[in-house]
Amino acid sequence: MKLLLLLNTTSAWAEEKIELFPSTPFYQYIIYENLTLFWLAILGLLVLIRMKLKECERLQKLEFFDEKERH
Amino acid sequence: MWYFTGGLVLFFFLLQVVSGMLLSFYYVPHVEQAHKSIIEIVTKLNMGWFFRSFHHWGAQLSILTLLVHLFSVLLLKAYRKPRELLWYSGFLLLILFFFFGLSGYLLLWNERSFAAVRVATGGLGAIPLVGNFLKAFLRGGVDVTQDTLVRFYAFHVVVLPIITLLLTAFHLLLVQFHGPSIPLSQEGKKLPQVPFFPYVFLKDVALWLVALGILVTLSTLFPPEIGKKADMLAAPPENIKPEWYFLFVFQTLKLFPGEIMGLNGEVIAVLLVSLAVLFLFLVPYLDKKSADGKRSPFFTAISVLYLGYFLVMTMVGFFS
Repeated sequence: MKLLLLLNTTSAWAEEKIELFPSTPFYQYIIYENLTLFWLAILGLLVLIRMKLKECERLQKLEFFDEKERH
Repeated sequence: MWYFTGGLVLFFFLLQVVSGMLLSFYYVPHVEQAHKSIIEIVTKLNMGWFFRSFHHWGAQLSILTLLVHLFSVLLLKAYRKPRELLWYSGFLLLILFFFFGLSGYLLLWNERSFAAVRVATGGLGAIPLVGNFLKAFLRGGVDVTQDTLVRFYAFHVVVLPIITLLLTAFHLLLVQFHGPSIPLSQEGKKLPQVPFFPYVFLKDVALWLVALGILVTLSTLFPPEIGKKADMLAAPPENIKPEWYFLFVFQTLKLFPGEIMGLNGEVIAVLLVSLAVLFLFLVPYLDKKSADGKRSPFFTAISVLYLGYFLVMTMVGFFS
Protein backbone atom coordinates (compact mmCIF):
# COMPACT_ATOMS: atom_id res chain seq x y z
CA MET A 1 0.00 0.00 0.00
CA LYS A 2 2.83 2.37 1.00
CA LEU A 3 4.66 1.49 -2.19
CA LEU A 4 1.55 2.28 -4.24
CA LEU A 5 1.20 5.62 -2.51
CA LEU A 6 4.85 6.38 -3.18
CA LEU A 7 4.46 5.43 -6.84
CA ASN A 8 1.37 7.63 -7.11
CA THR A 9 3.17 10.64 -5.64
CA THR A 10 6.17 10.09 -7.89
CA SER A 11 4.01 9.99 -11.00
CA ALA A 12 2.13 13.11 -9.87
CA TRP A 13 5.46 14.90 -9.37
CA ALA A 14 6.64 13.66 -12.74
CA GLU A 15 3.50 15.06 -14.34
CA GLU A 16 4.10 18.49 -12.80
CA LYS A 17 7.65 18.72 -14.09
CA ILE A 18 7.50 20.58 -17.38
CA GLU A 19 10.17 19.97 -19.98
CA LEU A 20 11.61 23.36 -20.94
CA PHE A 21 13.99 21.93 -23.51
CA PRO A 22 13.58 19.03 -25.96
CA SER A 23 14.55 15.89 -24.04
CA THR A 24 15.43 13.50 -26.85
CA PRO A 25 19.16 13.33 -27.70
CA PHE A 26 18.36 13.63 -31.42
CA TYR A 27 16.61 17.02 -31.05
CA GLN A 28 19.19 18.19 -28.54
CA TYR A 29 21.95 17.39 -31.02
CA ILE A 30 20.14 19.35 -33.77
CA ILE A 31 19.74 22.36 -31.45
CA TYR A 32 23.40 22.41 -30.39
CA GLU A 33 24.49 21.93 -33.99
CA ASN A 34 22.31 24.88 -35.09
CA LEU A 35 23.68 27.03 -32.29
CA THR A 36 27.24 26.30 -33.43
CA LEU A 37 26.34 27.11 -37.06
CA PHE A 38 24.66 30.31 -35.91
CA TRP A 39 27.83 31.45 -34.13
CA LEU A 40 29.96 30.52 -37.16
CA ALA A 41 27.68 32.67 -39.36
CA ILE A 42 27.99 35.58 -36.89
CA LEU A 43 31.78 35.25 -36.86
CA GLY A 44 31.79 35.20 -40.68
CA LEU A 45 29.72 38.39 -40.82
CA LEU A 46 32.00 40.04 -38.25
CA VAL A 47 35.03 39.25 -40.41
CA LEU A 48 33.23 40.77 -43.43
CA ILE A 49 32.37 43.93 -41.47
CA ARG A 50 35.96 44.26 -40.31
CA MET A 51 37.21 43.92 -43.88
CA LYS A 52 34.70 46.55 -45.07
CA LEU A 53 35.74 48.98 -42.32
CA LYS A 54 39.42 48.54 -43.18
CA GLU A 55 38.65 49.19 -46.85
CA CYS A 56 36.72 52.35 -45.96
CA GLU A 57 39.62 53.58 -43.81
CA ARG A 58 42.08 52.93 -46.66
CA LEU A 59 39.89 54.83 -49.15
CA GLN A 60 39.49 57.71 -46.73
CA LYS A 61 43.26 57.94 -46.29
CA LEU A 62 43.71 57.98 -50.08
CA GLU A 63 41.13 60.78 -50.43
CA PHE A 64 42.88 62.67 -47.64
CA PHE A 65 46.23 62.45 -49.47
CA ASP A 66 44.59 63.44 -52.80
CA GLU A 67 43.14 66.55 -51.17
CA LYS A 68 46.57 67.40 -49.67
CA GLU A 69 48.24 67.09 -53.08
CA ARG A 70 45.60 69.36 -54.67
CA HIS A 71 46.27 72.03 -52.06
CA MET B 1 32.08 51.67 -26.46
CA TRP B 2 29.62 53.69 -24.35
CA TYR B 3 28.23 55.34 -27.50
CA PHE B 4 26.85 52.00 -28.69
CA THR B 5 24.78 51.05 -25.63
CA GLY B 6 21.84 53.22 -26.74
CA GLY B 7 21.70 51.53 -30.15
CA LEU B 8 21.90 48.15 -28.43
CA VAL B 9 18.85 48.96 -26.28
CA LEU B 10 16.94 49.87 -29.45
CA PHE B 11 17.97 46.58 -31.04
CA PHE B 12 16.82 44.55 -28.03
CA PHE B 13 13.54 46.48 -27.94
CA LEU B 14 12.85 45.64 -31.59
CA LEU B 15 13.59 41.97 -30.91
CA GLN B 16 11.21 42.08 -27.94
CA VAL B 17 8.46 43.51 -30.16
CA VAL B 18 8.86 40.68 -32.67
CA SER B 19 9.12 37.83 -30.13
CA GLY B 20 6.29 39.37 -28.08
CA MET B 21 4.04 39.45 -31.14
CA LEU B 22 4.68 35.74 -31.73
CA LEU B 23 3.90 34.88 -28.10
CA SER B 24 0.73 37.00 -28.08
CA PHE B 25 -0.76 34.75 -30.81
CA TYR B 26 -0.99 31.95 -28.25
CA TYR B 27 -1.07 33.59 -24.81
CA VAL B 28 -4.49 33.78 -23.11
CA PRO B 29 -4.86 36.59 -20.51
CA HIS B 30 -7.24 34.78 -18.17
CA VAL B 31 -6.49 33.53 -14.65
CA GLU B 32 -7.62 30.01 -15.54
CA GLN B 33 -5.88 29.89 -18.93
CA ALA B 34 -2.76 32.09 -18.65
CA HIS B 35 -0.46 29.56 -16.97
CA LYS B 36 -1.83 26.71 -19.10
CA SER B 37 -1.29 28.68 -22.31
CA ILE B 38 2.37 29.24 -21.39
CA ILE B 39 2.81 25.50 -20.77
CA GLU B 40 1.25 24.86 -24.18
CA ILE B 41 3.54 27.41 -25.85
CA VAL B 42 6.57 25.68 -24.31
CA THR B 43 5.55 22.06 -24.77
CA LYS B 44 3.31 21.91 -27.84
CA LEU B 45 4.37 24.66 -30.23
CA ASN B 46 7.24 24.15 -32.62
CA MET B 47 10.14 26.20 -31.17
CA GLY B 48 7.70 27.68 -28.64
CA TRP B 49 10.13 26.99 -25.78
CA PHE B 50 12.79 28.94 -27.66
CA PHE B 51 10.69 32.03 -28.37
CA ARG B 52 9.45 32.19 -24.78
CA SER B 53 13.04 31.92 -23.53
CA PHE B 54 14.16 34.47 -26.16
CA HIS B 55 11.54 36.97 -24.91
CA HIS B 56 12.55 36.37 -21.28
CA TRP B 57 16.28 36.82 -21.88
CA GLY B 58 15.64 39.72 -24.25
CA ALA B 59 13.87 41.53 -21.41
CA GLN B 60 16.75 40.88 -19.00
CA LEU B 61 19.40 42.04 -21.46
CA SER B 62 17.47 45.12 -22.60
CA ILE B 63 17.08 46.35 -19.01
CA LEU B 64 20.73 45.53 -18.26
CA THR B 65 21.87 47.46 -21.37
CA LEU B 66 19.55 50.34 -20.54
CA LEU B 67 21.05 50.59 -17.04
CA VAL B 68 24.58 50.53 -18.49
CA HIS B 69 23.50 53.28 -20.92
CA LEU B 70 22.00 55.34 -18.08
CA PHE B 71 25.08 55.14 -15.86
CA SER B 72 27.48 55.80 -18.75
CA VAL B 73 25.48 58.95 -19.66
CA LEU B 74 25.45 59.94 -16.00
CA LEU B 75 29.20 59.44 -15.42
CA LEU B 76 30.25 61.05 -18.72
CA LYS B 77 27.92 64.00 -18.00
CA ALA B 78 26.31 63.53 -21.41
CA TYR B 79 23.11 64.98 -19.93
CA ARG B 80 24.55 68.49 -19.75
CA LYS B 81 23.24 71.40 -21.76
CA PRO B 82 21.92 71.27 -24.52
CA ARG B 83 21.05 67.56 -24.06
CA GLU B 84 18.71 67.86 -21.07
CA LEU B 85 15.69 66.68 -23.04
CA LEU B 86 17.62 63.58 -24.12
CA TRP B 87 18.19 62.73 -20.46
CA TYR B 88 14.55 63.35 -19.47
CA SER B 89 13.16 61.27 -22.36
CA GLY B 90 15.71 58.50 -21.71
CA PHE B 91 14.85 58.44 -18.02
CA LEU B 92 11.14 58.10 -18.85
CA LEU B 93 12.03 55.26 -21.20
CA LEU B 94 13.83 53.50 -18.33
CA ILE B 95 10.71 53.77 -16.15
CA LEU B 96 8.64 52.42 -19.04
CA PHE B 97 11.03 49.47 -19.41
CA PHE B 98 10.72 48.73 -15.68
CA PHE B 99 6.97 48.77 -16.05
CA PHE B 100 7.31 46.50 -19.10
CA GLY B 101 9.19 44.08 -16.86
CA LEU B 102 6.63 44.21 -14.05
CA SER B 103 3.63 43.83 -16.34
CA GLY B 104 5.26 40.99 -18.26
CA TYR B 105 6.18 39.23 -15.02
CA LEU B 106 2.53 39.05 -13.92
CA LEU B 107 1.53 37.52 -17.26
CA LEU B 108 3.36 34.33 -16.19
CA TRP B 109 0.63 33.99 -13.55
CA ASN B 110 2.76 31.77 -11.32
CA GLU B 111 2.86 31.98 -7.52
CA ARG B 112 6.08 34.05 -7.48
CA SER B 113 5.01 36.62 -10.05
CA PHE B 114 1.59 36.90 -8.40
CA ALA B 115 3.13 37.56 -4.97
CA ALA B 116 5.76 39.97 -6.40
CA VAL B 117 3.14 42.09 -8.19
CA ARG B 118 0.97 42.07 -5.09
CA VAL B 119 3.92 43.44 -3.06
CA ALA B 120 4.94 45.96 -5.75
CA THR B 121 1.45 47.39 -6.28
CA GLY B 122 0.85 47.29 -2.50
CA GLY B 123 4.04 49.33 -1.98
CA LEU B 124 2.73 51.99 -4.37
CA GLY B 125 -0.23 52.40 -2.04
CA ALA B 126 2.17 53.81 0.58
CA ILE B 127 2.83 56.93 -1.53
CA PRO B 128 0.96 59.80 0.14
CA LEU B 129 -1.99 61.41 -1.71
CA VAL B 130 -1.77 59.49 -5.02
CA GLY B 131 -0.72 56.05 -3.70
CA ASN B 132 -4.17 54.57 -3.25
CA PHE B 133 -5.32 55.82 -6.62
CA LEU B 134 -2.23 54.33 -8.33
CA LYS B 135 -2.68 51.03 -6.54
CA ALA B 136 -6.36 50.76 -7.48
CA PHE B 137 -5.65 51.91 -11.04
CA LEU B 138 -2.97 49.28 -11.60
CA ARG B 139 -4.84 46.48 -9.90
CA GLY B 140 -8.19 47.35 -11.42
CA GLY B 141 -9.71 46.76 -7.98
CA VAL B 142 -8.80 46.06 -4.38
CA ASP B 143 -6.53 43.05 -4.95
CA VAL B 144 -4.56 41.37 -7.75
CA THR B 145 -7.23 39.51 -9.71
CA GLN B 146 -8.40 38.73 -13.24
CA ASP B 147 -8.91 42.48 -13.76
CA THR B 148 -5.24 43.10 -12.93
CA LEU B 149 -4.11 40.41 -15.36
CA VAL B 150 -6.16 41.91 -18.23
CA ARG B 151 -5.01 45.41 -17.32
CA PHE B 152 -1.34 44.40 -17.21
CA TYR B 153 -1.75 42.52 -20.50
CA ALA B 154 -3.22 45.66 -22.11
CA PHE B 155 -0.34 47.74 -20.70
CA HIS B 156 2.25 45.21 -21.84
CA VAL B 157 1.09 44.68 -25.42
CA VAL B 158 -0.65 47.94 -26.35
CA VAL B 159 -0.20 50.96 -24.07
CA LEU B 160 3.50 50.64 -23.21
CA PRO B 161 4.72 49.71 -26.73
CA ILE B 162 2.92 52.72 -28.27
CA ILE B 163 4.26 55.19 -25.68
CA THR B 164 7.73 53.61 -25.90
CA LEU B 165 7.79 53.85 -29.71
CA LEU B 166 6.76 57.52 -29.65
CA LEU B 167 9.23 58.40 -26.93
CA THR B 168 12.02 56.42 -28.65
CA ALA B 169 11.34 58.29 -31.90
CA PHE B 170 11.58 61.59 -29.99
CA HIS B 171 14.80 60.43 -28.27
CA LEU B 172 16.36 59.42 -31.61
CA LEU B 173 15.35 62.71 -33.23
CA LEU B 174 17.12 64.55 -30.42
CA VAL B 175 20.21 62.35 -30.89
CA GLN B 176 20.19 63.25 -34.59
CA PHE B 177 19.69 66.91 -33.79
CA HIS B 178 22.44 67.25 -31.16
CA GLY B 179 24.84 64.58 -32.42
CA PRO B 180 26.95 62.44 -30.07
CA SER B 181 28.02 64.00 -26.78
CA ILE B 182 31.70 64.80 -26.26
CA PRO B 183 33.12 64.19 -22.75
CA LEU B 184 34.12 67.34 -20.82
CA SER B 185 37.79 66.29 -20.87
CA GLN B 186 37.74 66.18 -24.70
CA GLU B 187 35.89 69.43 -25.23
CA GLY B 188 37.81 72.06 -27.24
CA LYS B 189 40.17 69.45 -28.72
CA LYS B 190 40.17 68.79 -32.45
CA LEU B 191 38.62 65.33 -32.77
CA PRO B 192 38.52 63.31 -36.02
CA GLN B 193 35.14 63.59 -37.77
CA VAL B 194 33.73 60.11 -38.43
CA PRO B 195 30.68 59.85 -40.72
CA PHE B 196 27.76 57.77 -39.36
CA PHE B 197 27.53 55.71 -42.54
CA PRO B 198 29.30 53.31 -42.92
CA TYR B 199 31.66 53.59 -39.89
CA VAL B 200 29.37 53.92 -36.90
CA PHE B 201 26.60 51.94 -38.60
CA LEU B 202 28.85 48.95 -39.32
CA LYS B 203 30.25 48.99 -35.80
CA ASP B 204 26.68 49.10 -34.50
CA VAL B 205 25.75 46.11 -36.68
CA ALA B 206 28.80 44.18 -35.45
CA LEU B 207 27.78 44.75 -31.83
CA TRP B 208 24.18 43.81 -32.58
CA LEU B 209 25.34 40.54 -34.13
CA VAL B 210 27.36 39.65 -31.03
CA ALA B 211 24.41 40.65 -28.80
CA LEU B 212 22.07 38.47 -30.87
CA GLY B 213 24.48 35.57 -30.51
CA ILE B 214 24.61 35.99 -26.73
CA LEU B 215 20.81 36.29 -26.54
CA VAL B 216 20.24 33.16 -28.65
CA THR B 217 22.83 31.21 -26.62
CA LEU B 218 21.26 32.20 -23.29
CA SER B 219 17.77 31.42 -24.62
CA THR B 220 18.87 27.99 -25.80
CA LEU B 221 20.94 26.92 -22.81
CA PHE B 222 18.93 28.48 -19.97
CA PRO B 223 15.19 28.42 -20.69
CA PRO B 224 13.33 30.02 -17.74
CA GLU B 225 11.18 27.99 -15.37
CA ILE B 226 7.39 28.24 -15.66
CA GLY B 227 6.71 27.84 -11.93
CA LYS B 228 3.56 26.76 -10.13
CA LYS B 229 0.25 28.29 -11.11
CA ALA B 230 -0.77 31.23 -8.91
CA ASP B 231 -3.35 30.49 -6.25
CA MET B 232 -5.08 33.70 -5.21
CA LEU B 233 -6.15 32.22 -1.87
CA ALA B 234 -2.85 30.55 -0.91
CA ALA B 235 -0.18 32.11 1.32
CA PRO B 236 2.75 33.61 -0.63
CA PRO B 237 5.79 31.29 -1.04
CA GLU B 238 8.81 31.75 1.24
CA ASN B 239 11.75 33.99 0.33
CA ILE B 240 9.78 35.84 -2.31
CA LYS B 241 11.88 38.16 -4.45
CA PRO B 242 11.13 40.47 -7.37
CA GLU B 243 13.08 40.47 -10.64
CA TRP B 244 16.78 41.44 -10.24
CA TYR B 245 16.28 45.04 -11.43
CA PHE B 246 13.81 45.72 -8.60
CA LEU B 247 16.01 44.15 -5.92
CA PHE B 248 17.64 47.45 -4.92
CA VAL B 249 14.21 48.94 -4.08
CA PHE B 250 13.15 45.72 -2.35
CA GLN B 251 16.30 45.68 -0.18
CA THR B 252 15.88 49.39 0.65
CA LEU B 253 12.32 48.78 1.84
CA LYS B 254 13.59 45.90 3.99
CA LEU B 255 16.09 48.21 5.72
CA PHE B 256 13.34 50.33 7.25
CA PRO B 257 11.55 49.30 10.44
CA GLY B 258 7.75 49.20 10.59
CA GLU B 259 7.56 52.46 12.52
CA ILE B 260 9.91 55.47 12.73
CA MET B 261 9.04 58.09 15.38
CA GLY B 262 5.36 57.23 15.17
CA LEU B 263 5.32 57.37 11.38
CA ASN B 264 4.80 54.43 9.04
CA GLY B 265 8.26 53.10 8.04
CA GLU B 266 7.06 51.90 4.63
CA VAL B 267 5.70 55.36 3.76
CA ILE B 268 9.04 56.96 4.71
CA ALA B 269 10.99 54.38 2.70
CA VAL B 270 8.79 54.84 -0.41
CA LEU B 271 9.06 58.63 -0.05
CA LEU B 272 12.87 58.50 0.22
CA VAL B 273 13.17 56.20 -2.82
CA SER B 274 10.84 58.51 -4.79
CA LEU B 275 12.94 61.54 -3.79
CA ALA B 276 16.16 59.78 -4.82
CA VAL B 277 14.62 58.92 -8.22
CA LEU B 278 13.36 62.51 -8.62
CA PHE B 279 16.84 63.84 -7.80
CA LEU B 280 18.36 61.61 -10.48
CA PHE B 281 15.72 62.73 -12.97
CA LEU B 282 16.50 66.40 -12.31
CA VAL B 283 20.31 66.02 -12.50
CA PRO B 284 20.69 68.11 -15.72
CA TYR B 285 18.82 70.96 -14.02
CA LEU B 286 20.72 70.68 -10.71
CA ASP B 287 24.23 70.23 -12.14
CA LYS B 288 24.85 73.88 -13.06
CA LYS B 289 28.64 73.52 -13.36
CA SER B 290 28.43 70.87 -16.09
CA ALA B 291 25.87 73.01 -17.91
CA ASP B 292 28.49 75.77 -18.05
CA GLY B 293 31.12 73.34 -19.37
CA LYS B 294 33.01 73.15 -16.05
CA ARG B 295 33.99 70.03 -14.11
CA SER B 296 31.61 69.04 -11.32
CA PRO B 297 33.26 66.44 -9.04
CA PHE B 298 30.31 66.64 -6.63
CA PHE B 299 27.93 65.20 -9.21
CA THR B 300 30.52 62.63 -10.29
CA ALA B 301 30.66 61.48 -6.66
CA ILE B 302 26.85 61.35 -6.50
CA SER B 303 26.74 59.31 -9.73
CA VAL B 304 29.30 56.84 -8.35
CA LEU B 305 27.26 56.65 -5.12
CA TYR B 306 24.09 55.84 -7.07
CA LEU B 307 25.89 53.18 -9.10
CA GLY B 308 27.53 51.67 -6.00
CA TYR B 309 24.26 51.61 -4.09
CA PHE B 310 22.44 49.96 -6.99
CA LEU B 311 25.14 47.29 -7.40
CA VAL B 312 25.55 46.53 -3.69
CA MET B 313 21.82 46.36 -2.97
CA THR B 314 21.20 44.19 -6.03
CA MET B 315 23.95 41.79 -4.95
CA VAL B 316 22.71 41.68 -1.35
CA GLY B 317 19.17 41.04 -2.56
CA PHE B 318 20.33 38.36 -4.99
CA PHE B 319 22.43 36.37 -2.52
CA SER B 320 20.28 36.80 0.61
